[in-house]
Order: sequence, then C-alpha cells, then structure tokens
Amino acid sequence: MSGRPSLEQYKKNIEARDFKAYKCAKCGAVIAPPVGVCYSCGGTQMEWTGVSGKGKLVSYTVIHVAPEQFQDEAPYYIGIVELEEGTRITVRLTGLDPQRPAEVKIGMPMVLDYDTGKSGRTYLAFRPA
Amino acid sequence: MPLKNTNIVSAAQTKFGKLEGVTLREMFAEAVDKATTQAGVPKEDIQAAFIGTFIPEMLVHQGHTAPLLLDYAGMRGLPATRHEAACASGATALRAAIMAIESGLYDTVLVAGAEKMTSVSTNRATEALAAAADDEFESGIGLTFPGVFAIAAVAHMQEYGTTEEDMALVAVKAHKNASTNPLAQFQKEITLEKALTPRYIAWPLKLFDCSPISDGAAALVLTSNEKAKQYTDTPVRIIGTGQASASMNLCDRTVLTSFEASVKASRIAYDMAGLGPKDMDFAVVHDCFTIAEIIATEDLGLFEPGEGARAVREGVTALDGDMPVNPMGGLKAVGHPVGATGVKQAVVVYRELIGEAGPNQVPRHDTAIMHNFGGTGATCVVNIMRRADA
Ligand SMILES: CC(C)(COP(=O)(O)OP(=O)(O)OC[C@H]1O[C@@H](n2cnc3c(N)ncnc32)[C@H](O)[C@@H]1OP(=O)(O)O)[C@@H](O)C(=O)NCCC(=O)NCCS
Ligand SMILES: [Zn+2]
Repeated sequence: MSGRPSLEQYKKNIEARDFKAYKCAKCGAVIAPPVGVCYSCGGTQMEWTGVSGKGKLVSYTVIHVAPEQFQDEAPYYIGIVELEEGTRITVRLTGLDPQRPAEVKIGMPMVLDYDTGKSGRTYLAFRPA
Repeated sequence: MPLKNTNIVSAAQTKFGKLEGVTLREMFAEAVDKATTQAGVPKEDIQAAFIGTFIPEMLVHQGHTAPLLLDYAGMRGLPATRHEAACASGATALRAAIMAIESGLYDTVLVAGAEKMTSVSTNRATEALAAAADDEFESGIGLTFPGVFAIAAVAHMQEYGTTEEDMALVAVKAHKNASTNPLAQFQKEITLEKALTPRYIAWPLKLFDCSPISDGAAALVLTSNEKAKQYTDTPVRIIGTGQASASMNLCDRTVLTSFEASVKASRIAYDMAGLGPKDMDFAVVHDCFTIAEIIATEDLGLFEPGEGARAVREGVTALDGDMPVNPMGGLKAVGHPVGATGVKQAVVVYRELIGEAGPNQVPRHDTAIMHNFGGTGATCVVNIMRRADA
C-alpha cells in the first residue's frame, strides 16, 4: 500500500474489506471520498491513512426503486456518515430494517462495516454501533 | 448592471408526457416550428442554436444531437451546440444564448431542449438518470435521484420539522395547477390522501413526491432590442442571470437542508438585475421532487430557511397566493423530460409575464425568477425576467 494513492486502489481496498482514506500530506486532513486537491489547504500531495471506523449518521434514505443493476438488492439503505476524523462519506447502511426507516435516528453512532450485495460487489457500509 | 439586450420574443413547448410513437427529433421539430414559423419568426432569421439534451446516448442511443435535431427541424448549416448539465441542461443552453446576444455576436438565436425518456423501462431510466451523480462514490453504490432528494428531505424534516404531509401539499398544488394546463402530463387534481399513498420510491419520498419520466421538447427565440419589436409588442427581457456549481457528492456538503449552488446563482442573478426576492411577482423553480420546491423557495430567498413548508401550508405559493410558485404545474405534474425542462421553465415565465397563461395566469406579472437545477445540485442556473414594458 505504499506509493501515491489512486482511485483504483481506493476501490480495491473497499472490495478487500480494508478501507483506507486519503490524508493530505501538507495539513493532515483526512479525505474520503478522494478529491484531487485538499479543500483545507490546497495541497495536492496525498497519502493513505487508516480510520477509527467510528462515526455518526448525518442523513439517510431507503431505496425502493433502484437502477437496473441494483434492483435485486432493493429495498436498501443509503446514508451519509460523518467519520470521527471529520470527513463525510456516502455508504450503504447495514443492521437496520428497511421496513422501519422512521425508527432510525440522525446523529446515532455508527461503526464501519462492509456489505456484499446480490450483485457480488462489496460496498463500504456502516452499522449502528 | 442588468443585462441590456436580451429579449425572448417567442416561446413554445410540445405536450409533455408519454408521447407514444413520437421520436426525439420529431418533438424537437414540433417545438421549434411553434416557436419560429408559427410565431411569426422566420427560420431564416435564426443565426445559431443552443440545445439542451441530457442523456440521449443512454435513452435513445444517439449522441451529437445538436446538428441532428437542427437538421431535422429544417435549419441545417447553422452553428449548433449541445449543452449538458443534467437537469439544468436547458438553462445552460439558454445562458450560452444570452451571452452570445449580449456579446453582440448574434442578433437572433434559437434555444431548445428535448428528451425522450419513455423509450426505456423505469429501472433503466433510473440508472441512466443516476449518471448525473458521481458514478464512483454515490450512484455507483446504488444512490438514485429520488434517493438524493430523500436524503435532503430527511435532513430538512429533522432540522425544521417539515413533514411528509407538507411535501404532499406541494404535489396537490402542482396537480391542481396542471389540471388546467393542456400540455401537462397529469391533468387531474389529486387529494391530499392520494398524494400520501405510501408507495415509496426512496423513503420518505413516495410516488407523488416525484416528477415523472417524460418525453417532450421546448423552444425559445432570443433576440436583441433592435430586432425584438419586429416580432412582438411584448418582448420579455432577461435582466439577470446567475450560474454556480457545487460538489457532485452530497457527502461533500456541510449543509443538506439547502443547496449552495442555488443560493449562489440566485444572489448573482439578483445583483445583476438590481432586484431582490421581494421584487419577484412569481417563481418557477425546479420541483423535480416536492422537497426540492420547498428548499428552492428558501434558497432563492422567497422565504426564510425552514419557512418553505409553511408557505405551502398557508397557500402562499398557490396560483392565487402572494407568491405563486410553478403556476402551470411544475416538473411534478407537467412532466420532466430532462433536457427540455430548463427551456420549458422559461416558456412558462414568458407566457405568464405577457399575460397569456389562460386559466393559469398569475395576477401580478411584471417580474419573475426561474431556477433550474442539475443533478445533486452540482449545477444551478437562475434567471430574472421582466416584461420589457413593465
Ligand atoms: C416515481 C417513478 C419511479 C414512478 O415510476 P413507475 O413506478 O414505473 O410508475 P408507472 O409508470 O408504473 O406508473 C404507475 C402509475 O403512476 C402514475 N405515475 C407515474 N409516475 C408518476 C409521478 N411521478 N407522479 C404521479 N403519478 C405518476 C402513472 O401515470 C401510472 O398511473 P396509471 O396506473 O393510472 O396509469 C418514476 O416516475 C421516476 O423515477 N421518477 C423520478 C424521475 C427522476 O428522477 N427524474 C430526475 C429528477 S432529478
Ligand atoms: Zn491539506
């Protein structure tokens, strides 16, 4: 995992259930999903970093009508989680009942998880802590 | 400084809806014909064309649509460029036309938009539309457009206490306004109870919170002050225009209850026009989902943040309210053929401003704002328009 971070490797890491974020080499900001330029300092030099895997739920939905390639997985949760490290990321949510979305609470603590869908793809996911 | 030289002198749209057996080029040609020949603007007077289409490659397997469509409409040879900015494609085409006229490069140009969407299944269309979001990080994990706005709705509900019923009331208003609009996809009023039918598309958004999948086209002719009078006694001036972009990914926004590109684009347009929200007589906003209308009215400064839902509840945004919003029925009930929408919004503003909106005429109609929004809100275009004699 040395060398310059790349989008391709970022996705491979998720597929291998070994999530890593980008870190700005100049100011240390943790960045995920990847961007080319650090919005905190303008730095373009990125490194890999592990994350604590802790975060909180910012908002969410349950997808019922899905794109063709995901329809077999519906209904499924998608949410935005703010990591302890500060960055926000869009993920699948696991461990929640898709028929009872009203019971899910914004702000609730979440932990890193992975979800392998019927499509065979592994998604970055979070579940209630 | 307000724009000085851009006038809309004719405007038209086809019927929106499932236009069985009508191809992209045929509906385009119909809208263009209505806005030119049938409106007393000879096609020979047009010097260039600015055309909005979003994803014809995926929906009808056709790229390079600008020359193709123009050729079919009998205007082969003119400079023709396609503008793509997801659901804001139409308004970015319009903005390019405004810049071309203000620069003095052309006197008279065509702006048109079209999309044929019912050619594919709903799941296919959902997948194609998702191309307007980031395929690596959001649409690529199964986030849909209804899903994007559902996430915003959940945040708005949490922050301001907006309810599913408030959103349903936007749909009831849209269907009511569209019931007297013969060009609308849905021309039937719906009850609040029906709007609340729990057929979830992306919770908490239900069938009636969504704009439909539609076919349709719209067209405008823009011209300079000098030429305007030869086509009409009531030109409509575009006096302010603004455009802004924002992060593609929803997760890169610190605020989910407001769309920053809408706020930015509208402030630019107001400043240019030298006007503010209180000067607007009515608004045409991008209600691809009911929550999008509520948030847009707040982002444009028509209501305070968090007050958009109350405005709907109290009838302020109704056709006969103090600030009518989407008086002809909006995307929600008239339909949302994506590339046509931004152009159609200008058609609606034009018809209302010149007093030719029939049963959908708003009482005060000197000055109005239009707001066209692309994808996750990564593009927004806002225009302020005024009747030239107002
Ligand atoms: C909401 C949506 C999923 C419904 O599609 P669907 O489930 O295939 O619906 P159907 O075509 O089977 O229609 C079922 C019925 O509902 C009606 N209907 C369809 N969409 C509707 C809508 N948005 N509002 C109201 N009624 C609608 C149909 O006319 C039909 O009525 P009928 O049974 O009386 O003939 C689809 O319209 C959609 O994806 N909309 C969002 C489009 C979008 O994302 N646009 C981009 C925005 S940025
Ligand atoms: Zn940095």
